[in-house]
Amino acid sequence: MTGQVGTWALGAGLIATVAATLLWLRLALHPGTPARAARLATGAGLLCAAVACGALEWALLRHDFGVRFVAENGSRRLGTYHTVTSLWSALDGSLLLWLLILTGYASLLGRLGQRHDQRLHQWAMTLVSVVSLFFFALSHFAANPFDPVHPVPSDGPGPNPLLQEHPAMGLHPPLLYAGYIGLVVPFAYALAGLLAGEPTRSWLRAARRWTLAAWACLTAGIALGAWWSYAVLGWGGYWAWDPVENASLLPWLTATAFLHSVLGRRASARSGWPVALACASFLLVLVGTFLTRSGLVASVHAFTESTLGPMLLGFLLLTAIGTVVLVCWRGTSDPYPPEATPPLSRATALLGNRILLTTITAVVLVGTVLPPVAQALSGTGTAVGPAYFNRTAVPLAIAVLALMGLAVLLPPSGTRPAETARRSVAPAAVGLAVVAVTGLASRPGPMVLAAFGCAGFTLAATAAALARRIRAGGTLRTARLRSALGGSVAHAGIALVAVGIAGSSAYTVATERELPIGQTLAVPGATVRLAAVDRVRTGSGMTVRARLTIAPSAGSPQTLTPELTYHPAQDTTVSVPAVRTGLLRDTYATLLAVSADGRSATIRLAANPMVSLIWAGGALTALGGLLALGTAPLTSRRRRRTAWPGRPLTSRGRHRTAWPGRPLTSRRRRRTAQPGRPTAGTARPVPASASTPGAAE
Amino acid sequence: MIRVRVPKTTALGVGLTGVGLAILLLGAVLGIWRSASPTGDGDPAHRLAAELRCPACQGESVADSRSPIAAAMREAISTRLGRGESPDEVRTYLVQRYGVEVLTMPPARRWGLLLWAVPVLALGAGLLPVLRAGYRSRRAARSASPGRPAGRDDRAGVRGGAAGDVAGQGRRAGSRRHRVFAPPSGSRVWNVGAVAVLALVGAVALATPGPQTPPGPATSPDPVPAQLALARSMEQQGQYEAAAEVYRTVLVERPADDVRLRLAFILIRLGQATEAARLAGEVLAHTPDAPDGLLILGLAQRESDPPAATATLRRFLTRAPDHPAAAEVRRLVDSG
Repeated sequence: MTGQVGTWALGAGLIATVAATLLWLRLALHPGTPARAARLATGAGLLCAAVACGALEWALLRHDFGVRFVAENGSRRLGTYHTVTSLWSALDGSLLLWLLILTGYASLLGRLGQRHDQRLHQWAMTLVSVVSLFFFALSHFAANPFDPVHPVPSDGPGPNPLLQEHPAMGLHPPLLYAGYIGLVVPFAYALAGLLAGEPTRSWLRAARRWTLAAWACLTAGIALGAWWSYAVLGWGGYWAWDPVENASLLPWLTATAFLHSVLGRRASARSGWPVALACASFLLVLVGTFLTRSGLVASVHAFTESTLGPMLLGFLLLTAIGTVVLVCWRGTSDPYPPEATPPLSRATALLGNRILLTTITAVVLVGTVLPPVAQALSGTGTAVGPAYFNRTAVPLAIAVLALMGLAVLLPPSGTRPAETARRSVAPAAVGLAVVAVTGLASRPGPMVLAAFGCAGFTLAATAAALARRIRAGGTLRTARLRSALGGSVAHAGIALVAVGIAGSSAYTVATERELPIGQTLAVPGATVRLAAVDRVRTGSGMTVRARLTIAPSAGSPQTLTPELTYHPAQDTTVSVPAVRTGLLRDTYATLLAVSADGRSATIRLAANPMVSLIWAGGALTALGGLLALGTAPLTSRRRRRTAWPGRPLTSRGRHRTAWPGRPLTSRRRRRTAQPGRPTAGTARPVPASASTPGAAE
Repeated sequence: MIRVRVPKTTALGVGLTGVGLAILLLGAVLGIWRSASPTGDGDPAHRLAAELRCPACQGESVADSRSPIAAAMREAISTRLGRGESPDEVRTYLVQRYGVEVLTMPPARRWGLLLWAVPVLALGAGLLPVLRAGYRSRRAARSASPGRPAGRDDRAGVRGGAAGDVAGQGRRAGSRRHRVFAPPSGSRVWNVGAVAVLALVGAVALATPGPQTPPGPATSPDPVPAQLALARSMEQQGQYEAAAEVYRTVLVERPADDVRLRLAFILIRLGQATEAARLAGEVLAHTPDAPDGLLILGLAQRESDPPAATATLRRFLTRAPDHPAAAEVRRLVDSG
């Protein structure tokens, strides 16, 4: 019964999204027709996705093993929380969550997006609807979780035991999906701008907020995923350059570059970069979906097949070809439009940021895609892992880190070398001092030192820049300052993450030994004593816990209890580490084995310094994105009058069109973006040396 | 707030700042130099194990993995390093023994070359236009008459004529084209769009294999397929021991050759070559020259009896030259 409702909802959703696509397309082609029907169809798609998700949740909670997904992933022994989260613990169910979020974005965009240019909005909605209908079709035909099972089993195996060990399971996948799928909006707007033939900048205004929201979610999702693997996998690592991790990083990199390409002088927003980066972000989302859902990279052995693989690949190719054709046909051809800025300006730093982030994306992409491609084309097995990425992506990332600090020191436009030099003294001193002190006190290696130094430089520069802004006047109520605050917070977060990664990779110490009860195990910075070994029969299986007391503890003794849990349904043993998080270092204990008589246990003990900085930095970065998102247009009217001409394209200007009674018509708006008209910095004389390429021709 | 107040006018202030920065720079250079020189501390075996990939797990290094294969590899690394072999020799040995997949940075040959070419090309593609633009602007500056100050007209000319050149004209042309583009051909675009949308749905529907076509080789109306699927998914998750247990259970229910071969294959992964060889032998007793049986027997024999292994693998190659594993096996046989 529940299964029928679910299948039916998927079918109805498919019909609704087909209708929505056609209706939005009709609107885009024949402007002026009322949009009500199209919005209703989009809303119906969301309703159907919600019903399908609800039906599967219901089946999971009711232990309706006649439904295929429940028979494969449900279990009577599972608690309610993990039963609910098992919706996204396997492919078919996670596709439903994907659909729910995608149609949610579509409905929200259908309602909120109208504030912007109508034609742009209609084209964007058409494209988002096409994506939704593809995933509905995929879920309905190829990966229907509601298929009936005969005979109905009495119990199921439950999800992968690793997914049952941590509460992050409830938060990490939805957040990651929200970020991942949200990148469809800038993609749709970029292509809509091309299709509608609108001035290039108007789509940027519409897309920036959506991208920021998606980016903040993606950042939080990636950080949570790293925290999860740190807290569950038991080897103390948080990032292994695994294909699935890389798949989430790739669109983050291009989305970050996209957000920065919107900043800066108008010319950079006018160039081909934003379109290319917005399209690349979503195409990389599709690449990641294909990689993780086709079974291509998950299997070491080539026998595995997945019915979804070819279809996802087909859709990816279709989208890529369509995008390239559209960009070639109607796009801006010049990625470097002439900018009347001197080489030593923020615009140059932003350009460097784009180039470096794109290069890192290329590095990670080729490292992720090469092994399966080489395997498929030539049959040779290759593996690409940390050794490669540490030698390529990491130095580039350190360069980006340094550029982050440099960008806030450089003036947005114009040359003021004396002032720039004066501003740079303090951050440079901080960076150099950090390198000198850590380099002389310990020997972490040049790469780690560079990361420390660049992070110190960037943190100091960011703090100084923010202080300058606050001194220059303005309270947190002004949108401009809040936008700057968002950027500063995000940059500080990234710098902290860099410090955490560099520090933990350089200074982690670990040891492992079989330990009789009562004896101690020590690494520099942490000493534990094995107090007892407990065997507990839990609901589903057997758990063995080692009780470790942390030795030099003043006051109340603290204990760590790493455990081994045996899951009879999968016949596997999962080791759950115990972590005591400290400000400076984590004490990380893993139980590897217990002797048969229960008198001794094999323990791995590690002191991981600065790991908490990574989580704090990740949270700060996501928070920075949200702060920049919250730059409300409320103060814009007052501030606009005093707006300076070369102002970067940030929040306030974007909302001009949203004001109903504003005298600024779209025609006038368009004229302000006309070429040939001096746009920015006209008050300042422009040195001839910094003039434009092409002048000699 | 960190802020060094530099006296704006005095040369003394600038000089002091310069000296301070120079001292810090010297300290930093010393720190980097000291940090870069090899320290000799740290366990070389651990360092080597950390940069090798465990062939039986996903995303774990040999140093971190708990799988039996990784333990064996760690053992081999310590004994060979202890015997005085260089890390490169140990690496070569492990590649021969476990395949090139254990390296997390493939050698820059054939496909591995792409790993270095793509980043360089990407960086070049990003930087080259910048350098060219800089060169062009410098040439333009030189060709401009030097005596005359850059007046307003001049600037406007540069900006209007060149600044807005490519992008501007493109966009103007674009918006003009857009006016011609949308309304007249609207119905045609709509027709094409509608057909394309329906074609997309149809393509997904048709590309889906029917529910009757079996996904795997073994399907019959009994609980065995479910167990096989379970074992297969465990295998994909890297839980080889658990998967082996399930296959053993299935084998009791249904002693079929394909199950035997799957089990044998996993046993090889787990390093239990003797039992794998026994299973493959059983298969070959039913169907002599079954390619998969030969393959697994050959792989299983590699440890105990290398010449026999080579002979078996050669037989496999003559039986099934187009097998998916044939290329790999050919490499193994050729390498010794």
